[in-house]
Amino acid sequence: MLLMQLKPDYPEVIEKAANEIAALLRGSYGLAPRAVALLVLQEDQEVSELVRRQEGDSRWQSIKAQVDAVKAGLDEPVSYTLAVRRQDLARTLAQEVVRLENGRVRTWGEIIGDLTMRPLVGIPVLLLVLYFGLYQVVGVFGAGTVVDYLEGNIFEAYINPWVNSWTEALIPWPVLQDLIAHEYGIITLGLRYAVAIILPIVGSFFLVFSVIEDSGYLPRLALLVDRVFKEIGLSGRAVIPITLGFGCDTMATLVSRTLETRRERIIATLLLALAIPCSAQLGVILSLLASHPRALLVWAGFLLLIFLLVGYLTAQLMPGDGPSFYMEVPPLRLPQLTNVLTKTYTRMQWYFLEIVPLFVLASVLIWLGNITGFFNVLIQGSGVIAGYLGLPPEAGEAFLFGFFRRDYGAAGLYDLASSGALSPRQLTVAAATLTLFVPCIAQFSVMVKERGWGIAFGMVTFIFPFAFAAGFVLNAILMATGVLG
Amino acid sequence: MDCCQNESWWRRLTKRVRQNPKEHEEQGPLKKVALVGNPNVGKSVLFNRLTGVYVVVSNYPGTTVEVSRGRGRFGGVQMEVIDTPGMYSLLPITEEERVARRLLISEHPSVVLHVVDGRNLERMLPLTLQLIEAGQPLILVINVMDEARRLGICIDTDLLAARLGVPVVPVAATLNEGIDLLRKKVAEIAAYAA
Repeated sequence: MLLMQLKPDYPEVIEKAANEIAALLRGSYGLAPRAVALLVLQEDQEVSELVRRQEGDSRWQSIKAQVDAVKAGLDEPVSYTLAVRRQDLARTLAQEVVRLENGRVRTWGEIIGDLTMRPLVGIPVLLLVLYFGLYQVVGVFGAGTVVDYLEGNIFEAYINPWVNSWTEALIPWPVLQDLIAHEYGIITLGLRYAVAIILPIVGSFFLVFSVIEDSGYLPRLALLVDRVFKEIGLSGRAVIPITLGFGCDTMATLVSRTLETRRERIIATLLLALAIPCSAQLGVILSLLASHPRALLVWAGFLLLIFLLVGYLTAQLMPGDGPSFYMEVPPLRLPQLTNVLTKTYTRMQWYFLEIVPLFVLASVLIWLGNITGFFNVLIQGSGVIAGYLGLPPEAGEAFLFGFFRRDYGAAGLYDLASSGALSPRQLTVAAATLTLFVPCIAQFSVMVKERGWGIAFGMVTFIFPFAFAAGFVLNAILMATGVLG
Repeated sequence: MDCCQNESWWRRLTKRVRQNPKEHEEQGPLKKVALVGNPNVGKSVLFNRLTGVYVVVSNYPGTTVEVSRGRGRFGGVQMEVIDTPGMYSLLPITEEERVARRLLISEHPSVVLHVVDGRNLERMLPLTLQLIEAGQPLILVINVMDEARRLGICIDTDLLAARLGVPVVPVAATLNEGIDLLRKKVAEIAAYAA
């Protein structure tokens, strides 16, 4: 039997118009003329624009006439008709070539996977993932045990004293000594923040996140929260950029392009910039608040409230259709150890290379600012703002650092809190304000790249006063109610 | 989600200085092999296999949002391999779907690998039909064959190849199964291309 090649069976009107359009095409497209014609018939904007430019006005008018004629002659959109016909052929082909042996079996993975999408099982599972994944691994282990060890046993005990004494011995000028060592030096502050505080936290987050990613849990979470997300103008699809934001908001802003509508992309970008702490902030905050469970609850509740409130208001302000949601749910899989480790490693490497020059630069800027006295002016200024929030003036320094990079600010907060300068209430207010506070420079640059200058700038001018106003209100409420003493 | 496969900002700044311009001239343009297909079918795993370059792989649709490039050897010839974000159709809806189509339009790859999930052939074939319509130098790569077999799914790849008029290669990329055969097919198709 000679096997015939099969082609989708499109309606005669479409075939005829496609051939006529294809015959008119002179430009080069990288796709076969007939395919270009079909895309034009489906009114694909990008390809139509390309054809209009390459073929010139007169030929484009004849092409456009064909498109309009076909549209008028069909009850359904061309794209829909074509999709249905292709689907028909796909079904025929699949039936012909696919054979099922001993029936289709439901695997354990599928049964568990389906359960996680039902609220009754899904919400407890989510809480377990948050508790073990984020709290225990990132907060207690990464930001607690590992950071304490690197900070206390390595940097404070060996590296810093060693660097201080060597620079003092080798460099006779105190001004230059300060560049490398002492309170704000490149090694004693910049590198210490990067290696001892940020890297272990970010690393442990990436490890947890890789396992979650590879298991196929995220799309299930997306379906679970779809209803809530609809209220704030997002679809369940936004779960992926948003959860990714807990790793690195910069990375997440880039991923927000997977969202379907411009409205959704703008809302997600704003929420990432405002209410989602990155893993460095999250780790530091979790470990700082770990000894005050009530403070931790207040912080988390407050941010969730802001997230939902701002999302809801933005969705009301920005007109547009509610997003439609369709997402493929992959099977639950046992993560492959090699992929989890490679992925964690490449992300840590990327992150480290990204932050080290910036942290070094920050040290240099602070050094310059110290020499000129400008740094002190800034610290005093931010100290005054900190005062409004009921915080000690030194907290202003952490805000100043956070301006430069989210994680840098978090590390500053860690330093401040480990010296015992903050009460639980102050810690909560500082943590909440720092979380809301401006996106870091890296995130801002991605916001500009993805959403344009106008929107990025508008968001920052909203976030800046909003963060401090929110901190002020939170402090007032906590003072008035005395929840945290 | 791939900041990670991007170079860091300061590397990008210094890249121009470090790159040796002569290297490119001597080799001439490499032939291009593009990986396209629905989200979450394993394009990136296959890319890692073919090039030895690691790009981030996860178990959810939309892991790759930008194009990554690497080099691989096919039948003794070095070619550029391009990984793309997933797309459902040649008529794109989201921004990252547009990325993949733009690549086909502007870069004229010598071989296009349409990667599909063997457990769900029916849902993936419409894109294959569109790519054939578009006259792409196509190979249909049926991935995830290991899981398909476990589910008791058998696919007659010879029959499918005859029906579509393009080569069909079954693989299990995570297990490195069928990759050698795929390399051979790529070399064959690329030989036709100018």
